[in-house]
Amino acid sequence: MFALRRWWDRYGIQITLTSLAVGTALLIRQTQGGVLLETYQWLTRPFQSKPNPQAQVANAQMLELQQRLIELESKNQRLEELLGFVQVKKGKGITAPVIGRSADHWWQQLSLGRGRRDGVEKESVVLSPGGVVGRVTAVTAHTSRVLLLSDPTSRVGVTISRSRTMGSMRGNSGNRGILEFYEKNPDVRRGDVVTSSALSGRFPSGLPIGRIESVDTTKSPAPEAIVELSAPVSYLEWAVIYPKSPEVAEPLAPASGSAPSPVPSPNVLDESSPSTP
Amino acid sequence: MIQPLDNFITQYPALRPYVNWGVTVGSVLLCLLILPTRLPGMELAGISPNWLLIWVVAWSIKRTVWQGAIAGVVLGFLQDAMTAPFPTHALSLAIVGALTARLQKQRYVQEDFISVALIVFGMAVVAETVTALQFSFQGGRSLLEIWTYHQFVALSSAILSSLWAPVVYFPLNHWWESIEQSEPMG
Repeated sequence: MFALRRWWDRYGIQITLTSLAVGTALLIRQTQGGVLLETYQWLTRPFQSKPNPQAQVANAQMLELQQRLIELESKNQRLEELLGFVQVKKGKGITAPVIGRSADHWWQQLSLGRGRRDGVEKESVVLSPGGVVGRVTAVTAHTSRVLLLSDPTSRVGVTISRSRTMGSMRGNSGNRGILEFYEKNPDVRRGDVVTSSALSGRFPSGLPIGRIESVDTTKSPAPEAIVELSAPVSYLEWAVIYPKSPEVAEPLAPASGSAPSPVPSPNVLDESSPSTP
Repeated sequence: MIQPLDNFITQYPALRPYVNWGVTVGSVLLCLLILPTRLPGMELAGISPNWLLIWVVAWSIKRTVWQGAIAGVVLGFLQDAMTAPFPTHALSLAIVGALTARLQKQRYVQEDFISVALIVFGMAVVAETVTALQFSFQGGRSLLEIWTYHQFVALSSAILSSLWAPVVYFPLNHWWESIEQSEPMG
């Protein structure tokens, strides 16, 4: 007993402090750093910029409009063949300042200065002038963490606007993505506009993502292309968060009253002939 | 900033351990909160210095292997909280802490400025390699992409971290030394 007591007198403080430190760190890790992010948001508030869309991003905005136009033209052509098309409603966006970048070198993330209090939810879609930025992976009261499209773990189903060729894109650091096609001989060339497809579960369809930089048709097992993402992530100062409401997530559905299938409305965007008249 | 604190603890020696822990925890917090920022001049191709790694090296340089490893685990968990929990940063930082403590710098290198920068340079490469290995075992990303990216990350992170290492190391080292000197023997 005495030996134990002496041992405790000698090492007690060290053990207590060590377990306190490890315990606190674990707790913060379990809560995904909510406290830290909130402190960060509070400290950086004086330095956060006000949304200033005109000055810096005029060029990016023009690019976005151009891409949207191509996308809409192409889509319109398809839709003219179909009847009973329902207009997709887009919810009201939340404008949020970018307050931080990723806290290590392997993850491509952003921190935004709006959180749960402002109506941001997990899996919300984040857009900027130029196109899709990413999706929200963690939310605290006043901040939210965004996983960028350029992160290797984020995958998104995409369509080539001109030819409606489909594929899936994964991030490749910087502002590039690698597009894997489903077909052996995709109709794609340099400069083609890439948008999110109706098969993408995480993003609403038709959002501008980027343009094709180069195509490698010899790649096995599937042809690949490198996509230059159009959102100017490296100098982004603010972004718009769209909460993932059903009407945003629901892609273009024909109004024939058919039940929503897990693979949404392939008859609208697929190359195959429509199954509904 | 350190001078008034020095004066304070000579005046109230009873508060010394609390002030010491306050400074230590405060410096960790400062390093954590500076991680997501990209201040001008601190950035190389979108990569910023690995502040937590610099802190772990500064802590471990004059401590035992276990102290270094535990500090690495704690700071690694904190970095997990700031990014994503898998793969964990605790492993790479714990290895960095243990290795730094094992180096026995005093025996080989005399000049502090150079040796700390060199150690941080080497440890940054070690840490990024451990992370790349974890990604390789975890799967999900292609091996080629991981290791091409690893080259880029390891080099930029090592250069930047070693350049900025003295900013963290000197004040902290000065503080811990002054605390040790003012400590009563026994």
